[in-house]
Amino acid sequence: MKVSVVSRSGREVIKGGLELDDSATVADLQEAIHRKTKKYYPSRQRLTLPVQPGSKEKPVVLSSKKSINDYSDGNSNNLTVVFKDLGPQVSYRTLFFFEYLGPLVIYPIFYYFPVYQFFGFKGEHIKHPVQAYALYYWCFHYFKRILETFFVHRFSHATSPIANVFRNCAYYWTFGTYIAYHVNHPFYTPVSDIQMKIGFGFGLLCQVANFYCHILLKNLRSPDGTGGYQIPRGFLFNIVTCANYTTEIYQWLGFNVATQTVAGYVFLVVAALIMTEWALGKHRRLKKLFDGKDGRPKYPRRWVILPPFL
Amino acid sequence: MAGVFSILKRLYFSIYNWVVFYGWAQVLYFAVKTIKESGPEHVYNTVEKPLFLAQSAAILEIVHSLIGLVRSPISATLPQISSRLFLIWGILYNFPEVRTSFLVSSLVISWSITEVIRYSFFGTKEMLGVTPSFLTWLRYSTFLVLYPSGITSEVGLIYLALPYIKSSEIYCLRMPNKWNFTFDSYYASLLALAIYVPGSPHMYTYMLGQRKRVLSKSKRE
Repeated sequence: MKVSVVSRSGREVIKGGLELDDSATVADLQEAIHRKTKKYYPSRQRLTLPVQPGSKEKPVVLSSKKSINDYSDGNSNNLTVVFKDLGPQVSYRTLFFFEYLGPLVIYPIFYYFPVYQFFGFKGEHIKHPVQAYALYYWCFHYFKRILETFFVHRFSHATSPIANVFRNCAYYWTFGTYIAYHVNHPFYTPVSDIQMKIGFGFGLLCQVANFYCHILLKNLRSPDGTGGYQIPRGFLFNIVTCANYTTEIYQWLGFNVATQTVAGYVFLVVAALIMTEWALGKHRRLKKLFDGKDGRPKYPRRWVILPPFL
Repeated sequence: MAGVFSILKRLYFSIYNWVVFYGWAQVLYFAVKTIKESGPEHVYNTVEKPLFLAQSAAILEIVHSLIGLVRSPISATLPQISSRLFLIWGILYNFPEVRTSFLVSSLVISWSITEVIRYSFFGTKEMLGVTPSFLTWLRYSTFLVLYPSGITSEVGLIYLALPYIKSSEIYCLRMPNKWNFTFDSYYASLLALAIYVPGSPHMYTYMLGQRKRVLSKSKRE
């Protein structure tokens, strides 16, 4: 089969096109393109079928596991694919590792080292027990996240654009610093003992629940990542689509109830807003996919992310 | 009912845009006049009143966006207006020490030319239903120079004010307090400066995209 590779403006990306076996997969096609254009390694390529000009439909993205035959209609001797360069890519594992490493390293610096002298606070200051527990809780959280990144998470995409490294690290590292500064401050005012215990206790419970949610989500996908979308089931997923986000938000709430800083609550609100946007997208996608037609199951009525609000 | 509403809306926006246009036209006129007659150090004093009035009126634009009266997304209007208000109320109003800098002149001229074009563009659109192509061209071309000159002036003035912000301790809130909250204007200003680093290319490329879209569309029409 002859495959023509064109850019979105119609220019031929590979002059003369490529000649491939009919049984070749899209992954083979991507390799062939990479061989001809050293710069564009496979994870940087976005290949789609051409859309009719004026059509409002979203272009069909070629899946690397499928055969190129699946995308050529009847006319099996020629296939035209539209190429888009996604820009330099970084693996999701690398991205997550670095964005989580920042908080894990920065927070203890504010606890263990005399950094506040640089902000004008000289001399020794008392550390409250809650500050030590907050340190352990925080570090446990980000350590858990890193472990999940390497041993639990099954990614639907292998890579992410490199710009996201800067954006995501700025988010995590800045907020980490902002919160660490306030909780470990020499003039930090602790809450009551009982409030602290309730906060951390509830938070830990939610972290365990969150871990279980991640295990359930992982099992929806096969090891090579070809699962596609499935209806999440079991545990809290029976009542809320994004139970993993729910438990994550409540876990931060626990931390904030125990430590009581405006910085922590600001982070909670921003994180909740971001996760809500993701949750709405996921919920919509699942409802659209599982519409009850053509033998597909119908997506059950569920909360999106935060019962009883959304 | 819908017809009455849309006429009222058009009337409101016609009045709004031309009134604010007049404010910015005054700013531009006084700025240029003062530079010619007395010099850049005096520009702040002559433009202060119309500048604060015209720029503060822009808070209404956040409201317009929030209640859906205009199509502009809040994500585009909020950063733009926040930076303007931060400059005039946060920096110029609080720190007279920076008012004599020539950056005030470049700031005020960059802003007022941009706004005079923008408000007359929308004012004409609301009143007549169409905009003359030269006005469209101005709106989507002058930013090429005025964004860099405006942004440089904003960043420059914030930077000049930093030592005064630090020593004045204005709006600062310290610990200990029940909510373990602090606010430090100096660090907040540093953060504002940091936001300009990714923010400026983002705004500029957004306008470049808008320019491409609008000018090629009108060429085809």
